[in-house]
Parts: sequence; structure tokens; C-alpha cells
Amino acid sequence: MYEWSDEHLMLQQAMRDFVAKEILPIKEELEHGDLPPYDVLRKLYSTFGMDEMARSTFAKRIAHEKAVAAGEPVEEKPSRHGGGDAGYTLIPIIELCRHCPGMVTAMGVSVGLTASAIQAKGTIAQKERWVPELLTLEKVGAWAITEPNSGSDAFGSMLSTARRDGDEYVLNGSKTFITNGPYADTIVFIAKLDEGNDPKDRKVLSFVLDRGMPGLEQPKPLRKMGMHSSPTGELFLTDVRVGRDRLIGETEEVSKGGRDGAKATFQQERAGVAAMSLGIIEQCLELCVQYAKERVQFGQRIGDFQLIQQKLAKMEVARMNVQNLVFRTIELSRAGKSMTFAEASAMKLYSAQVATEVALEAVQLHGGNGYMAEFQVEQLARDAKVLQIYAGTDEIQTVAIARALLA
Amino acid sequence: MNIVVCVKQIPDPADPGALDPESKTLKRDGKLILDESDSYGVEMALQLVGDSGEVTLVSMAPNGEVSGLRTALAMGAAKAVLVSDDALKGSDALTTAKVLAAAIGKAGEYDLVLAATESSDGYTGVVPEQIAAVLGLPSVTFAKAVSVDGGTVKVDRQTEAGYDEVTCPLPAVVSVTAGVVEPRYPSFKGIMAAKSKPVDQLALADLGIEAANAGWAGAGQEIVEVAAAAQREAGEIIEDDGEAHAKIVDFLSNLKVI
Repeated sequence: MYEWSDEHLMLQQAMRDFVAKEILPIKEELEHGDLPPYDVLRKLYSTFGMDEMARSTFAKRIAHEKAVAAGEPVEEKPSRHGGGDAGYTLIPIIELCRHCPGMVTAMGVSVGLTASAIQAKGTIAQKERWVPELLTLEKVGAWAITEPNSGSDAFGSMLSTARRDGDEYVLNGSKTFITNGPYADTIVFIAKLDEGNDPKDRKVLSFVLDRGMPGLEQPKPLRKMGMHSSPTGELFLTDVRVGRDRLIGETEEVSKGGRDGAKATFQQERAGVAAMSLGIIEQCLELCVQYAKERVQFGQRIGDFQLIQQKLAKMEVARMNVQNLVFRTIELSRAGKSMTFAEASAMKLYSAQVATEVALEAVQLHGGNGYMAEFQVEQLARDAKVLQIYAGTDEIQTVAIARALLA
Repeated sequence: MNIVVCVKQIPDPADPGALDPESKTLKRDGKLILDESDSYGVEMALQLVGDSGEVTLVSMAPNGEVSGLRTALAMGAAKAVLVSDDALKGSDALTTAKVLAAAIGKAGEYDLVLAATESSDGYTGVVPEQIAAVLGLPSVTFAKAVSVDGGTVKVDRQTEAGYDEVTCPLPAVVSVTAGVVEPRYPSFKGIMAAKSKPVDQLALADLGIEAANAGWAGAGQEIVEVAAAAQREAGEIIEDDGEAHAKIVDFLSNLKVI
């Protein structure tokens, strides 16, 4: 694949029409008010039949798993992406990120991270119980791993605990920077099994919690630098009692440990960041080209100055590179392959860095106007920065790449 | 019930178009898109047939262009008939109507033909009625609402004062006013399915129309001159010397708006 197909372009156009009609009129409230993004995301899902498609894809996958479990002959596992084309997942991400990258974070954490965590390691009953409503956004999901004292060292410093009590578990701990935390209906909570042993030897378990369970607190959103259309918050658990039916996989012996499950989730998240970066870069570049043609200083349009041209040219290089990474993601998924963990890390590292660079240069190119909220580049620069921090910091991605090279 | 919708594929109005200096007509060599004014007819047809019929698109375009048709197929139309032939270059409204009428004959059984009142690039606004005349069917123009009851179509026909309620026997040709329904977005499933929906590509010979009667050769009209639109005149600036409001009131009452 070296360019978008006609179908991709049609989807892109339809998304742009939807964004212009449904999102831009309420953008101020999404980005600077307290309007959560879920209703308009649900509208996006129902308008394009994404909910119906997610439901039918899920039904096919679960039927396949049941057939496998029953030992019946089966065909190849149905693809997660509609029609096996990841473009249908990535184009909405790109188009939303041109205006409200936060909405993508809110959506991705719910239908991506949270649903995938249950889908990857849950039992069939658990999948049927929680996954469909997460995939359709009827329920908002949160994936709770980060804690006040454990970020990059997610597992090593994790303090949240699960203690056995008869047939049940008692969960305690606090989580922070949890996307959708304040509004989540379904929460995947990651904790260490406390058997009185050394914390570094403890098993990592994941539990599914529902909003309103006794002992679970979901305080109001935290204030942050950008990504305002994505509500982020803390979670506090005080003696939350859960049955084994809420332990993902219903076993403490998660295959190869919970760490691999989390790693697979990280990988998917990293691919999504490239698409987000592309949306931000495309929008910044478009705004900059337009500004460079219109803004006149010293009697000529600023686009005639070589220093401005250099900024534009560098943005275009970044756009081409990130677009090619997105194309590669689509091609790999079409071929039924996935990136290595190191490659996904490299892609995430590069995309996040250039997106931030482009967005900051876009502010610079717009001068004083660029620093004003009225010009969109100010928002995109604040939003882009988090791409270098969440889903694994730049530093963590670097380590993952180097580790694979030196292994 | 089956409905045929006439749709035009036009150069993207968002990209400034250009005239061919020789023929003085719009250049149509690039990618064409579905004329927005046709999306209302497509939507209305889809609503009318529901689950109990098919919507077929009929179009005439250069270079076997199907991009605009794919958009309407993604919305839910079942199939399309496209007439594309170099000999059609320069066709006037009547030739277009004859070609579309012949193509409608290849679209299978139908109860109703819908079209926009006019295209967004040519604006002749006569093709739907000409199609009706060629097919020998009744024609109703400027529909803002259409319903079908048995063998009759009921149309709310927009007028300057309001609307007339008109009924007419089927089959009929009805032209639909822009903006009267909300065209749906193509769903993901629709976009994926559009690629494999049948588009029957026909040339003039397939319709039994002589090349000598089409295109430049058959056109009953000729574009003799293209002139730039007059520049808008500069507005009048009134300095406020304390009496500006009176001048504004005079200005508005001269326009008879107050």
C-alpha cells in the first residue's frame, strides 16, 4: 500500500463531514468546558454503523472461540478489524485527531485497551459479559495500571493489592492518570496478589470492576496540560470485594503471567499513537501552509522566507514518514502479521516526537497568533506533548528498542 | 418498489474549476464527485424503498468515472448504470436527457425516477422534464416531500408561496429540491460493500444512439462567449458625525427592507 484507496478516501470524507457537523460546533465545550466526549462518540459509532459492526465481529470471534473450546473444526480466527482492513480503525483516529485528539484517547482506552484486556485473557463468559458493550461504547471503559508511585516501572513499584478471602478477593489501592476514570462503567484494575510474599515475586492479576461497587471511588477529572476532551482521573479502592468471576481468566495462573497480556495491550496502543500523530501533523501542516500563504510581513507573504520554508519542508517530511508507518500498520494487519514489540516501540517513539515537534513549530510559524487559543495550533501543541509520555514514555520506548537490538 | 435516481458526477466544487478555452466548457478530466444536489434524491429514494425494493443509479460521465457513483452506492443504492463515451463530449441538455432516458431503460423494472432539480455545475435545470418527455412519463418538479401509495405518487411541490399537493400515476419522473432530506453518511459496511456492487458501463452504441446525434455534433446549442462576472462595486462608507443612524435608516428604507 502506497496511498489511500478509494474506499479509504470515501471514509475520510465522511469522517470530515461528521466532524464538521457534529464535533466542531461543540468543540469549545469539549476542549474548554466539562462536556464529556462519550455522547458524541456514541453518535459517531451509530452513524457509521461501527457499533453494529463491532457487535457482529465480536459474535463471530466468540463463536470461533467456543468452537475451538468444544474441539470442533474451525476456520481462521476472524479479524478484529472490519473486513480485515485496519484503515477502517485508523482513519477515524486520524480525522478526530485533527481537531480533538483527546476524544481518540477516551475512545481508544475504552474500545481498545479495556476491551482488549478482557478479550485477550478473559474466559468466554467474561468476554460475553463485558466486551460487547465496551466495543460499542454503550459502556465506558478504563484500564487502571498507573499509580502515584508507579508509572514507567508499572509492575515493579505497584502497590495495589488483591488478597484472597474465602472464595473472594479483597482489593485495595489507588490509581492515577486513568483515562475515563471519572466516568468509567467498566474498569480493568491491575493489582498484585498479596500472599505475604516479597512484592517483587507477587503475581500480577487483573480484575473487572463495575461503577458503583462498594469501596470504589471515582473522583472528578484532574486538570491537565492538554487532551481536554479526554477526562482523566484517580481511582481509590478500599476493601472492594470481588468474586472469582471478576478475576480475568478466572485463574491466578495467567498464561506466562499477566505481564505478557499487558505487553500485548501496550503494543496495540503504540500503533494507535502513530495514527494520532498523523492527524495532528496533517492538521498543523495544513494550517501552516495556509498561514504562510496569507500572512504578509516586510511586504511579502511569509512563505517566501526560507526560514519559514524550512519549517514547512520539515513538517512535510514528518508527515510522509508517519503516513508510511501508518500504511505499514495497515499492510501488516492485512497480511495477518503484527509488529515486533521493538518495532511498535520505534514507531511510537518516532511518531510522538515528530508530532510534538511539528505542533510546536506550527506555533512558532504562527508567531503571536500561534500562542493564542483562537488559532488551533496552540491546542494541538498542548495535546501532542502527551504522546511522548503516555503509552510508554520516549525513554521507555528507547529502552525497548535497544534491548531488542542487543538481545 | 424500485426507484431509479439520476445522478451527476461533477468536478469537486471545493477545488476551483477551470474552463477549457477552446470549447468554453468546464474541464472534467480530473476525479469527479457526487453532485451534492443529487444526494437528496438518493436519500429520498433509499427512504422510499426501505427494505422492499432497490435503488438504481443512472449517470453519464467522461472517462468511465465511478467515484461519485461509489459514494451513492455506499449510502445504500444497489447498482448503477453508467454511460461513458468520448462521443458524448459537448452534449447539451436534450442529448443528456435522451442518453439518461435510454440508460433508464437498461436499469430494470422501476416505479419512479428521481432527479435533482438542477446540477451544481451546469444549472440548466431542464434535464428531468426532458427525460420525462422522452420516456413519455408524467413529470412533477420541485418536490419537497414524496410518498407512494399503490400506483400513485403524492408530491408536496414547492412554490414561492408554500407548496402544492400533487398526485400523479406511476411510473413518473420527480425532481427533488436540494436540502429537503438529510442525506445519510455512508456506513463502514456500506463503504466496504460499494466496491463490489455492479456498475453497468455502457457506450452510446449500447443505447442505440448515433454518435452523429450526440456530443458537439448533435448539440442544439453552442457556447459563443464566456465573460467574467462584473466586479462587485465598493460599498459606501458613512463616517459617524452623530447623524450616521439617520443615513443608515434612509439607506435601508431605500432598499425597502424597513
